[in-house]
Amino acid sequence: MRHFTRLAALAAFGAVLGTGTVAQELYAPNLAYRTGPFAATGIPLMNGQRDYMTMLNARDGGIGGVAINFEECETGYSTEKGVECYEKTKGQAIVTQPWSTGITLQVLPKSNVDQIPILAPGYGFSPMADGKVFQWAFNTPASYWDAASMMLEYIGEENLKGKKVAFLHLDHPFGKEPLPLMEKKAADIGFELLPIPVGLKEMQNQSAQWLQIRRERPDYVIMWGWGAMNAGAITEAVKTRFPMDKMIGVWWAGHDADLKIVGEDGKGYKSISFSYPVLDAPLMADIQKYVVDEGKTLSNEEEMQGVFYSRGLVISMILAEGIKVAQEHAGTAEISPSDLRWGLENLNITEARLAELGMTGMVPPFQTTCANHTGHSGGWMLEWDGEKFQKVSDLLQAEAEVIAPLEAQMAAEYAAANEPWPVSACN
Amino acid sequence: MLYRTAGQFKTSYKADQALFPVKQDAILLGVILVFAWVVFPLAASEFTFQTLLIPILIYALAAMGLNILTGYAGQLSLGTAAFMGVGAYACYKMVTLMPWMNPIVAILLSGVFSAGVGVAFGIPSLRIKGFYLAIATLAAQFFLVWLFEKWAWLYNYNASGAIQVPNLEMFGVYVAGPQADSLVQYYVVLAIVSVMTMLCINLTRGTLGRTWKATRDVDIAAELIGINLMKSKLTAFMVSSYIVGVAGALFVFMWRGAAEPNLFDIPLSFRILFIAIIGGLGSILGNYLGAILIVGLPVVLGTLPAALGVPIASSMVEHINVMMVGALIIFFLIIEPHGLAQLWRLIREKLIIWPFPH
Amino acid sequence: MLNQIFVAPFVDMFAAPDFLLQVLWEGLVSGILYALIALGFVLIFRSSRIFNFAQGIMVVFAALTLVGLYEMGVPAWVSVVLTLGVMFILAVSIEKIVLRPLVGQPDIILFMATIGITLFLIGLGEIIFGGENKVMITEALGIPTGSVVFEPWGGLLILEEKDITAVGVAGMLVVALLLFLNKTRMGRAIRALGDDPQAALSVGISLQTIWVLVWFIAGIIALVTGVAWGARAGVSFALEVIAYKALPVLMLGGLESITGAIIGGLMIGMLEKLFEIYWGQPILGGNTETWFAFVLALIVLLFRPQGLFGEKIIERV
Repeated sequence: MRHFTRLAALAAFGAVLGTGTVAQELYAPNLAYRTGPFAATGIPLMNGQRDYMTMLNARDGGIGGVAINFEECETGYSTEKGVECYEKTKGQAIVTQPWSTGITLQVLPKSNVDQIPILAPGYGFSPMADGKVFQWAFNTPASYWDAASMMLEYIGEENLKGKKVAFLHLDHPFGKEPLPLMEKKAADIGFELLPIPVGLKEMQNQSAQWLQIRRERPDYVIMWGWGAMNAGAITEAVKTRFPMDKMIGVWWAGHDADLKIVGEDGKGYKSISFSYPVLDAPLMADIQKYVVDEGKTLSNEEEMQGVFYSRGLVISMILAEGIKVAQEHAGTAEISPSDLRWGLENLNITEARLAELGMTGMVPPFQTTCANHTGHSGGWMLEWDGEKFQKVSDLLQAEAEVIAPLEAQMAAEYAAANEPWPVSACN
Repeated sequence: MLYRTAGQFKTSYKADQALFPVKQDAILLGVILVFAWVVFPLAASEFTFQTLLIPILIYALAAMGLNILTGYAGQLSLGTAAFMGVGAYACYKMVTLMPWMNPIVAILLSGVFSAGVGVAFGIPSLRIKGFYLAIATLAAQFFLVWLFEKWAWLYNYNASGAIQVPNLEMFGVYVAGPQADSLVQYYVVLAIVSVMTMLCINLTRGTLGRTWKATRDVDIAAELIGINLMKSKLTAFMVSSYIVGVAGALFVFMWRGAAEPNLFDIPLSFRILFIAIIGGLGSILGNYLGAILIVGLPVVLGTLPAALGVPIASSMVEHINVMMVGALIIFFLIIEPHGLAQLWRLIREKLIIWPFPH
Repeated sequence: MLNQIFVAPFVDMFAAPDFLLQVLWEGLVSGILYALIALGFVLIFRSSRIFNFAQGIMVVFAALTLVGLYEMGVPAWVSVVLTLGVMFILAVSIEKIVLRPLVGQPDIILFMATIGITLFLIGLGEIIFGGENKVMITEALGIPTGSVVFEPWGGLLILEEKDITAVGVAGMLVVALLLFLNKTRMGRAIRALGDDPQAALSVGISLQTIWVLVWFIAGIIALVTGVAWGARAGVSFALEVIAYKALPVLMLGGLESITGAIIGGLMIGMLEKLFEIYWGQPILGGNTETWFAFVLALIVLLFRPQGLFGEKIIERV
């Protein structure tokens, strides 16, 4: 009898484990952060990502008939935790979604050894666009240099010549990322670039930075902010009466909740974006039907109408499309990480495909190749109207002729510093 | 029974003062060393190396450095992480300026730089004491991290401001950088940490160690019996910062592979302080016990729900983790303020006289 | 170079006096908040020799509880009262669970225990309230949100009304606290315990009651700080880092002195802002506020090891 109970217990334990491992599924972990000073901006994105995958699992039974296991591993935006998550998940994972420029930089050199693609949509190291050097890393659909270039283009060269542009940024790899491009453009166009760093400890108290802005009287403020820094900067800008329409943020500084703090006073604030919420898109209806109505979402109605939630959807769409392309190419539903790399290198998100996905207008069309891991989709300028972000520009495109040589140069420097570093020919 | 000391006679003071007065201690240490050098490397997976074995050793070494200063010499420091940073950046500059340099030599030399900085920031300890000194060490902490951020020469004018460990070879084997194998890195770390531990045990049992302890217990009394306080305090800062600097170089070169300045910010300092205090101030063994608890516990807690099949969101696990660490710190402080090392001492005494209660 | 250090900053100051005033005002407002946190430290340190690192997280915890309760539909002022209740429960549990078993332990052990409390409260707070940035309920509490604009010497000086309110409330709190400590029985008991614990205990002052009381007062101060600071930049766990700024204030002012905490806080708030604007940003690349206060305090301590207002350290063997 005792023997029997022990067997039964073992069987029960096995069954629990079995549901986790034996069933056919693809393991696509997300190194999320729902804690810490950056959680405020992280949560809506993570919710969007998660809901898209939940919807695919519920509606289509996953991708190509295989369920997606979209488990989250909490990093708290800490690089150390991120690496721990990476080590923990890399055994079965088909993709790494590092979710922080710091973690991306840390995982990047290991990608050639571990051979798992890194998917960092809209963040990470801009030269990752060079697929010949960074064979395993993807920052689809647009890089930080794209963002900087589009912002300057939106302001317009004639408005920049001889002017002063303050570059308010988080003092962190993320914030410093666009500096090489900005410096180059400043020299080319002839405007004065004034970098103003915000330390991690000063995110919520930026009065020194804004006093500097008041003294220097820049004509524009370009902001590279994240987490608690955004709300801090926007409230200070309102306080010092900096004209809001002269302030432009990167896509991570365009979170609805940050602007809601100042409401009407934030009118005119702009943020570049490669995504836009289309609330009546067919996809949103599916999310409502398969995820929200089933009570499977962690989000709420207000958040789901925001820019960041829909960006989370777009990010998961990129991964899902990569998996789908890879499955078709490999001829099997259960793809390997290197199959997925092929898939992400051969994405072709056309208007027609977006319409099929029910995401028309949520992201510009783009295409990746072996040599181009970014796709350079371009983006839209969004403006805060006091209640929500509105699209105020046509599709902007980054200046490829300026960015491409810089990417190639920095990528080559990276490869040289990390000898031996394999470089593919991309034939 | 296993720890019966009957029959082990000491016939001289020297024998009584030996490192292992009881034979079983030596045997136990031997067993642990066999595990560390042979069994773990054979059995461990990549995950175990990267999240448990290597970090535990490095954290234990950093805590040992802090323990020399705080536990033996009585100077409370909250700036450990910044001195680790000095070691790491010094090592990075050396291997990028002189690529021919043997990586292990570079790591050992990098401690010299942090020792220098440590002495400079140790000078105020001659006048400032207790909590005032602890806050003064925070000046080092915040100033140095700021310097890592602003002094672009330190990170070779890299656009991201982060340092990246290049692939470093030694006798045809990669020991650092992305190409290096975890097993090799583990052995390098283990070797350095073992040597440092031996050094520390000998130092703390010798003249210098006794000088430090006298300074810690009552510094004025120590001065009155002829101990040069300046020499005692500054050597403590020097030795401590050297070890901490080497730990910092190992931290980045043998484990993390890349570092940004705020990695060396105050949470890391606190983490090492936890290890030293939970392990036991004024003990060498304690650093290892503390590191096992503080580094190992969150990893185990993090994998537990998945292993048991309990569906909890990973963010919840992380929150509970933070709470648990906080609660455990309080718990251990209450049950044994002298740390895990003292707990082991008590257990050992019980074992020696077992089965008799007294 | 010398010109940049010794001449240019002062020329700047005189050229734009309105801007100088604005800098000083911003410094004063941060200084008030540093002083409030430091006050929490000092109260606890005086009565129990505990260096309470958890003061920073108590600020966050109080502010989060207040906003969380309000979001649940509780009227603003009721939330304030309930939050005070929560801070009281917190004070009692800290005393009962953590401090009582640790009575008589070395300072560093008690200090570590408060770091343990900090971690515990961070985890607990994130479980209950989530990690999102929350908006302080400034309007519901009746705090004015406009700003007063002066134009001295044809320049521009903007004073936020909520900052003025914060300065006013902080001032009243300090006065109330001083009255309480000097004029009431309980207050005198707290001071007695700080001066000579043995003697205080022998005349029948209850250690437990006083500790609960002191932690509760620290909780009230935390709530005020949380509201004032939260109104400036929202409430989130990132607020916790301002607790570090209180440490150099303590060094400068002395660990036992209430006056020291206030003057030290104001001094550091204004000096670090001046240094950052006129020397840090032009010469050193900015962000000097992270370390300036510590280095300043360190230099002062080299000359006065007990701080500007601390009790003279007398050492005996």
